[in-house]
Order: sequence, then C-alpha cells, then structure tokens
Amino acid sequence: MKSFSIAVLAVIGLALLAAGCGGQSSTVGTTVRSAQGVSTTPPSEPTSCTTKGGTITVLSAGDVDHIDPGAAYYSFTYEITRPTQRGLLGVQPGTTNLVPDLAAAMPTVSADGKTVTVELKHGVRFSPPVNRAVTSADVKYAIERGFSASVANGYAGAYFSVIQGAPTATPRFPEPISGIETPNPYELVFHLTRPEAIFTSALSLPLTAPVPESYAKPFDDQAVSTYGLHQIATGPYMIANNSSGNVNGIGYQPGKLIELVRNPNWDGSTDFRLACANKVLFKEGFQDPTVMAKTILSGSADANGDTPPPAAELQSILANPQQKKELFFTPTGGSRYIALNTRKPPFDKLLVREAVATVLDKNAMRLTRGGIVDGAIATHFIDPSFGDQGFTQAGGYTFNPFPSPNDSGDVAKAKALMTKAGYPGGMYNGPQVSMVADNTPPGSDTAKVVAADLAKIGFNVKQVSVTHATMYTKFCNVPANEPNICPNVGWLPDFHEPQTILDPTFNGKNILPSNNSNWPLLNDPAINTAMDRAEKLLGTSERYQAWGQIDDMVARTASAVPWLWENYPTLFSARVVPALMVDNEGAPDVAMMSVR
Amino acid sequence: MALLEIVDLSVQFHTRDGVVHAVDGVSLAVERGRTLGIVGESGSGKSVTALTVMGLTRLPNATVSGRVRFDGVDLLELESDEMRLIRGRRIAMIFQDPMSSLHPLYTVGWQVEEAILAHEDVSRAKARARALEGLREVGIANAAERLASYPHELSGGMRQRVMIAMALVLDPDVLIADEPTTALDVTVQAQILELIRDLQSERGTAVVLITHDLGVVAETADEVAVMYAGRVAERGSMSTILSVPQHPYTWGLLQSIPRLDAPRLERLHPIPGQPPSLIRVPSGCPFHPRCSHAFSRCPREEPALLEAEAGHAVACHLPVSERRRIGQALQSSLRALEPASPR
Amino acid sequence: MASLAPTDAEAVPRRATPGDGAAAQGPTASRAWSALTSSTARYIGRRLLWGVFLLFVVSGLTFLIFYVFPSADPAALRAGRQATPQLIAQIRHSLGLDKPLYDQYWIYMKGLVLHFDLGYSYQNNVSVRSEIFSRLPATISLTAGAFVVWMLAGIPVGIISAIRPRSLLDRLAMGGSLLAISAPVYWLGLILLLLFSSDIGVVHLLPGSGSYVPLTTDPRQWFLSLVMPWLVLAAAFAAFYARMVRGNLIEAMAEDFVRTARAKGLSERRVIVRHGLRAALTPVVTMAGLDLGILLGGAVLTETVFNIPGVGRFAYDSIVNSDFPAIQGTVLFGAFFIIGANIVVDVLYAFIDPRVRY
Repeated sequence: MKSFSIAVLAVIGLALLAAGCGGQSSTVGTTVRSAQGVSTTPPSEPTSCTTKGGTITVLSAGDVDHIDPGAAYYSFTYEITRPTQRGLLGVQPGTTNLVPDLAAAMPTVSADGKTVTVELKHGVRFSPPVNRAVTSADVKYAIERGFSASVANGYAGAYFSVIQGAPTATPRFPEPISGIETPNPYELVFHLTRPEAIFTSALSLPLTAPVPESYAKPFDDQAVSTYGLHQIATGPYMIANNSSGNVNGIGYQPGKLIELVRNPNWDGSTDFRLACANKVLFKEGFQDPTVMAKTILSGSADANGDTPPPAAELQSILANPQQKKELFFTPTGGSRYIALNTRKPPFDKLLVREAVATVLDKNAMRLTRGGIVDGAIATHFIDPSFGDQGFTQAGGYTFNPFPSPNDSGDVAKAKALMTKAGYPGGMYNGPQVSMVADNTPPGSDTAKVVAADLAKIGFNVKQVSVTHATMYTKFCNVPANEPNICPNVGWLPDFHEPQTILDPTFNGKNILPSNNSNWPLLNDPAINTAMDRAEKLLGTSERYQAWGQIDDMVARTASAVPWLWENYPTLFSARVVPALMVDNEGAPDVAMMSVR
Repeated sequence: MALLEIVDLSVQFHTRDGVVHAVDGVSLAVERGRTLGIVGESGSGKSVTALTVMGLTRLPNATVSGRVRFDGVDLLELESDEMRLIRGRRIAMIFQDPMSSLHPLYTVGWQVEEAILAHEDVSRAKARARALEGLREVGIANAAERLASYPHELSGGMRQRVMIAMALVLDPDVLIADEPTTALDVTVQAQILELIRDLQSERGTAVVLITHDLGVVAETADEVAVMYAGRVAERGSMSTILSVPQHPYTWGLLQSIPRLDAPRLERLHPIPGQPPSLIRVPSGCPFHPRCSHAFSRCPREEPALLEAEAGHAVACHLPVSERRRIGQALQSSLRALEPASPR
Repeated sequence: MASLAPTDAEAVPRRATPGDGAAAQGPTASRAWSALTSSTARYIGRRLLWGVFLLFVVSGLTFLIFYVFPSADPAALRAGRQATPQLIAQIRHSLGLDKPLYDQYWIYMKGLVLHFDLGYSYQNNVSVRSEIFSRLPATISLTAGAFVVWMLAGIPVGIISAIRPRSLLDRLAMGGSLLAISAPVYWLGLILLLLFSSDIGVVHLLPGSGSYVPLTTDPRQWFLSLVMPWLVLAAAFAAFYARMVRGNLIEAMAEDFVRTARAKGLSERRVIVRHGLRAALTPVVTMAGLDLGILLGGAVLTETVFNIPGVGRFAYDSIVNSDFPAIQGTVLFGAFFIIGANIVVDVLYAFIDPRVRY
C-alpha cells in the first residue's frame, strides 16, 4: 500500500517537476532529464548531545527481520542492533569508514593474510541480567552460533566460512570453530584457510557482537533459537526486558513496538556513540507512507524507519525551506537492475542482451519510483557513494556501455543490434519470453515499462505477478524455475567493499540451486578469474582498481542492465538533531540523535 | 334509527394511473342485532366501504365524502384519536385470511389480550383471563393451552375463530366480517358462519358480512346489499332478494352458482365479461357492458337506487314488471339455495 | 355457553407443550422453555459437530492453498539473503517443512487439538496463540464499538425513512447511505485522519493513527483513539442496515397483520413498533450477528489505516511474510468466529421466530 501511494503520486510528482522549481544542477528542480539525483549531503554529524534525555520515536511499517542480532540482516533491523550491540568493528558515524568498536584497535593482518588478530577493549560489560565483563570467548561463541540452523545467520557462510574449522554442513545447534582462537580474555585470533581481503570489513557485522554462551545456550539449543527474545546488549541501549532477561511483550512487541532503554552497564568512555536520549521507541504498523511522513513533520514522531515519504510529500517538503532542512537523501550503495537469464535463449546471445540494454527507457523506469528524487540513472553496478573505493575506478558517471539520448532508450540502435543478431528488421520473432515481477507498485510499474520497451523490438513478454517474497524465493532465486527476465532485482552492499556488490551476484561459482543471487546466471570464465584474483588483494588501491575493472566487464556483458543508483530519503522532525547511517541507506542513527 | 347508517359514501384514491372511484354514492344501513350481507365481486367496493367505516382509509391520497353515522355520530367527522376509541371497541372487523391477518410472531393469547388492553385499563392477568374466556366462547378446545399457541400452529378454522374472539372480546356493537370464510374449507365455512350466527344471537351484535358468495349470505343475512363497481345495485331483505331478485347482476350471480343437482353436461353460466376498471368506470349504468338486458338508455344514464316495493331498492332502468317477471322465473334456481341442514 | 364442539381434526399436531396451567404464562417465556427441550438441544449439538468438522476442512484448505499455490518459501525467507542452500535445507528441517504434507498437517492438527498449540511464527518465533490472544482485545474493541455505532445509527434512520417514505428526510437518508456504502474504508480513514487527527489533521480533535492503547491501560485514550475507527468501520454497515430496515419495515407495514392491528384500535405508534418493527427487525438481528462474527476475524483495512494492533493486521502481515503458522492461526480464528456466529444466530432465530423449529 505504501507503494501504491508512490505510484499514484509519481504522476503528480512528474507534473510538479515539469513545471520546474529552479535550483542548482545537483538538487531537485533540475529538469527531468538530469541523470544524477538530488543532493546527497548528509547532516553534519553531532559530536555532543544537545539535550541529554528525552524520548526519540521512529516509525515503521513492518517489523525487524530477526530480533536475534546474530541473524539480523536487514537495514531496518540495524537501527536496533547498532545502538544495542557492539561488534568488533563499528561504522564511524557520518561516514562509511570502519572503526574499532568492541575492538581496542583495528585488526592486524599477518603478512600472508591468513591470520587476523583483534584486541578487545577492557571495561565493556553485558547488560542485565548477565552484567559481567565481555570476553573474547563471547565473540567466538557469537560467530559460532551463526552457522547453526537454530540461529540461521544469512551471511555467515559468505564471509566467515573462510575461517578454519568453520562448518561446511549446517549443524543443528552451535558447534565450536577451531579456527577462532582465544589466547586470553581480551584477544581473538582468526586463522583463515586463505587470505580474504574483505574479512576484516566483515568484522563490522552484528554477528560479531558478543553473546554470553552459558546464558544463551539453553535458548540456542532449540530447533529455532529463542535467544533473540531474551537477548543481552552491550551497547548504550538495550531492548527493555524483565529481570530474567525476557524482552517478549515488554520491549519487543512483534509487529507493534520495540522499546530501547538505557543499558545501565554501558561505559560511554569506551564508545563513540553519544546515546543522548533516555528512551527510543520504534512504533511499527504505519502502513500509509503519507500518514507517516506527516506525523514526522508534525513532530509527533522523529524519523522514518523503513518507509520513504511518498514522492508527493517529498516535493512539498523540498518546496518548503523549513521542512527541507529536515530531509536528507542517502545513496543506498547498490543498484537496481534488470536480470536477463543467460542460460536460456534468447538472452544467451550477447547481441540480444545488448539490444535490451539499449532499448530500455531508464528515465521512465526511474519515474515509476518517484523520478529524480529517487536517485541517479545507473550505468554500472558500483554506486556513486563508493567514491574512490571503486566507483571512480569503474568510470564514475561517464562510463556508460549502452548510452541512449537522455537515457530514454534508443530504439533504432537496438534494432540494429537485433538485426546483427539475426532477427530480420530488428524485431524479435522467437517464442514468448517469460518475466516474473512484483505484483504491487512500484515494482509492478517498473515491470510494465520493461515489457513495453521490449515490445518495441518485438518481444512478447508473458508476465507473471506475485508477491515480492514469492518472486524471489520461488522463481528468481531458483535457477530451475527462473524466467527469462527478473525485472525487480537489485543488490545492496553489506559494507563498503565492492566485492560485496559484485561477487555474490556475478561470480559463476556463486550460482546456487536455490537462494541464488546470481540472477543472470553469469558464468564468464574471465570475470570469474578476475574476481578470484581480486578477492585476495589486500592492498586497497589495487583492490579497488581491480573491482572497478570487473564492474566494467560485468556491465558490458549486459547480462543485467543497471538502471538506478537509488537515494533513500530520511525525514526527521524539527525537534531532534538529525543523525543517520550513511553506510546503511540513511537509516536514522538513534545512538547519535538527540532532542533539541 | 339504524345503528350504523352509511349515507352517500364516496371514496376516491388518487394514484399515478388516475383516480380510482372505489366507492361511489353508497347508502346502506345496519340495524341493531341484525345481519347485513354485502355481496359483490372483487373490485365492487365492498371492502373499501367497510374499511372506511372503520376509519382505515384516512390516507393522504384518499378523498372520502358522505356520512357514516354510528349511534348518531358521524364517524367521518371524528379526529383520529376519537376514531381509535371506536375502532376495535365498538366496531370490530375481521378479515379474509386469518393466517396473514394474525401476527406470526406473537401467541394468539397475547394478540387477544392486546385487543383488550388497548381499550381497557385492566391488569395483564385479568386480560388473560378474559382472553381465555373469549377463546372458549368461540368454541376452541383446550383453550388454556391454545393461548400459548402461535398462529402457524393452528388450523385455518381455529385461526378464524381466534380472529372472531379477538374482535368480540370487547363486546362491540358492530362486527364487520370481510370474507371471513373465503380462505377456509367448505365444511369449516359452515362452522364459522354458524358460530357468528350464534354469537350474534347471544350478544345482539350487529353483523356486516361481506362476501362474493351469495350462498354464504343466504344462510346468515337478514338484509342484503348487492354491490357492483362501487355502487349498490340492489338492496333489500334476504327473503325478498331471494324470492324475487330484480337486478340483472343479481340474476347473474344466482345463475352462476354451480348446482349439485344439475345434469352433468350442463354448462356453467358465468357472467360474461370482466369487472370494470374503477378508474374508467363505464358510462351510465356501470353494469351495462355485461348485461344481457341492456338497452339504449343504459349507457347514457346512471340508474338511481329506487324503491321497487317496501324495503327493496333497485338501481336498474328495466321496468319493475319486467324485472319481477324475470326474477320469478329464476325461482327454480333459487331452490338450490335452501339452507343446508345443520350438521 | 357455546354449543359447538369443533373437531380437533384440523388442528396441527403440536410439538411438546406445557401443561394447561403453565400456558397461562407470558407468550415467549413458555415457548423459550419448551424450546430447550430435546429437539433444539439436538439441533445445537448437530450444528456444533458440523462446526468442528468445518474448522477441520478450513484448516486443511489453508494448508493446501499455502503449499500448492506459489508463495514465498518460509525457509528461504528466514535464512536471509546470502544463505547457503545447506542452511536453508537445515531450516526447512528444523521447521518440519521437509516432511510430507500430510505429515506436517497431522503434526499441526495434533498440536492444535491436544494442546491448543497454534505453532510458532516463522517470522519471529513467538507463539501464534499468544500473539492472537494479545491482539484479540483490540479487534474486539474495534468491532464491538463499531457494532454499537452502526446499530444505533442505522436502525433509527431506517425506521424514520420507512415511516415517511419518499419524504425529503427519506431521500437524504438513502442518498447519504449510498455514499457511505460506496466510500472505500481505507480512503475514508485517511480522510478522517487528515482532517481530525491531533498530529497530522487540519483540526486537532482526536488521537491519530497508532494511538490505540488497551482499555485497561488508559480508558480515556482507548476511547478517543477508537472514535474515528468506529465511525469508519460503522459507516458502510450503518448505511446498509438503514436501507435494509427501511425496506423490511415498509414491507411489514403493508402486511395484513398490520391492518388487523390498526383495526383493533391500537395507536399508530404501537402498530409500528410492536407489529411492524417486530416483524421487520428479526432478519436484521440475525444479519447483525453474522456481520459481527465476520468482523471479529479482523477488520483488516480499518486496523491498517489506523494502525490498530488487532488480529486483522496480524493476518495481513502474516500473509505478506508467508508466515504460515500465523496465517493458519488467524484463518482458524476467523473461521471459528464466523461458524460460531452462524450457529448462535440460527439458534437465536428459533427464539425470535416461533415458526422456525428444528
């Protein structure tokens, strides 16, 4: 329903845009044809609390994906895990840089890259009812439990299976990993099977937040772990619980409310977090994005947690000088693209894919999501927020392997490519091609644009509309069931390393029989080799150079056609000093916000 | 003076299709303790006349003129509240289909009690006792149990008895019975008519018996009026009308009664044609299109209701002698109407 | 004094009746008592058994629909984005999803019947039963309040319209009710919020979306937060009932027994209320019971737009998340209320309308 509002109001948004509001080239008011989006300057990062105390309220439509921090894997959930859980590394507020959090200093990597050592801070304690000091064994257990089916962490296999002794088959309950060594309570040593350049960056994920084993074991030793409902915090806040540690019905009311209160055992001198407010409320269930946006503007709530304000609201906020100061756009770090199944005709042919990439009207597709405020037209996969960490190396805004006038598609050129591919008159004359798309706007609208564009070069697209989750788990993620076209896919990085954008999605070795994320089923030996090489490059400059080149290679295969580097709008109320997570789609950073 | 005197009553209903002349200049009288039968086809205006006496035609689209004198008071002049005091209490009415005329969701006992309580300030228990008595008086067996019965649990005859009980429980001066036996079996018909007759003789209630069936009034009525197209065609004592009927319509009614003793192959003699539309009433004598004795005067001039002899008025242009002759010639048919022996 | 002894041959054979003396009680009371004898009790028993059977059928159908029609894979959803196939397989095993369908169904039904265990949410592992029960008060508050509003609004409007048909009042009422029926609930809710809610409305009158609190927490806030939802939910029903009452009453007033009632000399008021309404409202009462039963399953749209944490919202969320135990739980609850309401209404009908007998 939130998307319905966006789609309906997108038309109004277009009308307002066409009227033109003036302004510089990088803010709203540029003509519809500007490829780049609006300004994405984050708010200046607070360095101290304006007010110590008060309550901050964040609104959301849905709930967290997992309340268990060891399974959390969703940008909205991170709004709760980052204030409550301290991983080995954290994100420096206002940047995408990683800094030590639980660690005393950045990890040291051995020369051969196969040993990573982390020193832990002293003085970090668990919240009630555990209360004791955090030790390295707690971090070891936290990572081990992620591999079990009972906890079921989604990225443990991707980033931590490189540790020696990490399970290859999924154990039912947490099992020890020999490659994680704890020589003393404040030292962790990871022994890797091979050098992995991004391993240290992965230590910023919430899986590394310590979990007290003796307390958690009874919960983890069930088919589905209930530790999340009894979780212990290490950050400045904790989910409100009772004296035995249960949060269910107290600080966590599924689908309704998550309440964070101060962790009495938190020592601010060990933490970069400010933790100004006394209480943070996440009020869930706000389905209507207009109501949510207006509630924030009225000051009854302070930020949007998981739903962007609809395009019409964005326009009216941007037109209001006071309100404009409270709205920020943050690059999501990834891109949206149209995936073409390279294993089945006709998209097994490069020329046909190139024709598709040429004919697609990316402007029209961007309009389905709100137009220029939604972001920049993408031409490759590493997004602008990476800056020198791969974006410029990939060619920045100028690299465009399939240009068209105003990014609106070039039918003539596409037809020429089709003719070269062997289709007379440049019109496809083969059997129907299949597409599985979202059944709600804006995804359904995007799919319609794609189908219409493909029709211009003769494709008759058979469209199947299902829910977003079904589209993924039943069709696009399962190569055996995958249609010719998956138009509503995209990928966000887990942290600011280009490998996390390109490897799971375009490396041939990552094609899985189910839960597959390499939707084009791309298996190009040259690209695979380049990726394998790049994964081992420990030096940043050569690594980013390598991935930049890989980005170009992948873009040229046209196995997936990127069309949007999305900017996420975050709206704050006037009563708070804004702070957002630049690396996490602009999610409100409640540990850094304060009441004015 | 007559207990109930209807003088030159006219009732018109204004509908989208036109003005319906339901009753047009009707004059009738009912004596104390006597029975007046009103006979006619459907659409003859007999029911509307009765409803108007009861004051149940006081509708926005109805025009009523004339006088209805009851015990010296003109009912048409009364206010609604005053009329309500009379309705159900001094003049009571029962209707044709007792199944639909009784409320399906209340017990018969309750409905009879309600009739009592509407007009008398007595306790519920007293009313109940009187209702019980009323049911007994109309010959309902197991009356005490029947008080708690619902209409659908009773037979047609019993339901009509309940209606009669309900009407008579307050001892009204006049009972109007609109087609009380039409919806019942022949055997039950006779019982109901007998009941009405007996109750009348016990209490001295005046009865107006409305029916389309001449056979019904033959048994019970003292006076009879034959109505056609909203007017009175013939009026007189029962014996006079039966011995020498003088209106072609009456002749038609008498002739159309099927006879048990007639030869099997003899055809029935219905009155030819259809009852007239009350919006476009035929000119002159309304019966003329169906009358086998009609002549030139009939379509032109409406016949007045004139006394042929004492107590016998006829509205017909035929000369009296002619009418008497034809009437007498029908005497043989009239013998078929000798009252059936009581069971 | 009557000399007649009518034959009882034409009397309709009666069902169980009380003795002679007992018949002298009030009309409905004695009937009610006699109705509680074996035949109605047997009827209720039959309906209850049938109802239980229906619940089984509903649960089976829900099972089939979820697994046969394309819906998201709960194991994959739980596992997350980059999860390995082995992890997903393990989760499938933990959730019991790798067992054959009939096996899964059997396990589920066993838990349901023996322990009243509705399983655990795939989404957040909380007990479905406790979730539904914690949300039931909100749905009941919403539904019961709306019920009162629509009955109090719709029935009098219908009566007045019926008494004065084709008057200006009648035309306004029926025209207005047509609008109320046509207005989509979600849109109406948004309009009210944008006009009257204290945070985002034009006039700061009533608490806005998400302000619901349980009755025991703060009665005043509970009441104020429900005013707009009650109006929104009741609008279409009130209109529908007004039209229905109007139609029924006009019909009833044209019945013969109303003519008889008038002929008895009763006041017009008594005729309308005791005779006309009594007949006109019996179908209305039973309809209301059925509507109440359906709404207790959750008024999804109203709960969504006003962010009331009721069973309806829960049902919607669980469908979107492919959370099968929660879907099954909410469907069964909804079915339970509907089947229950049907039985109650049918039995009630026997008390209200004596012509109905089982």
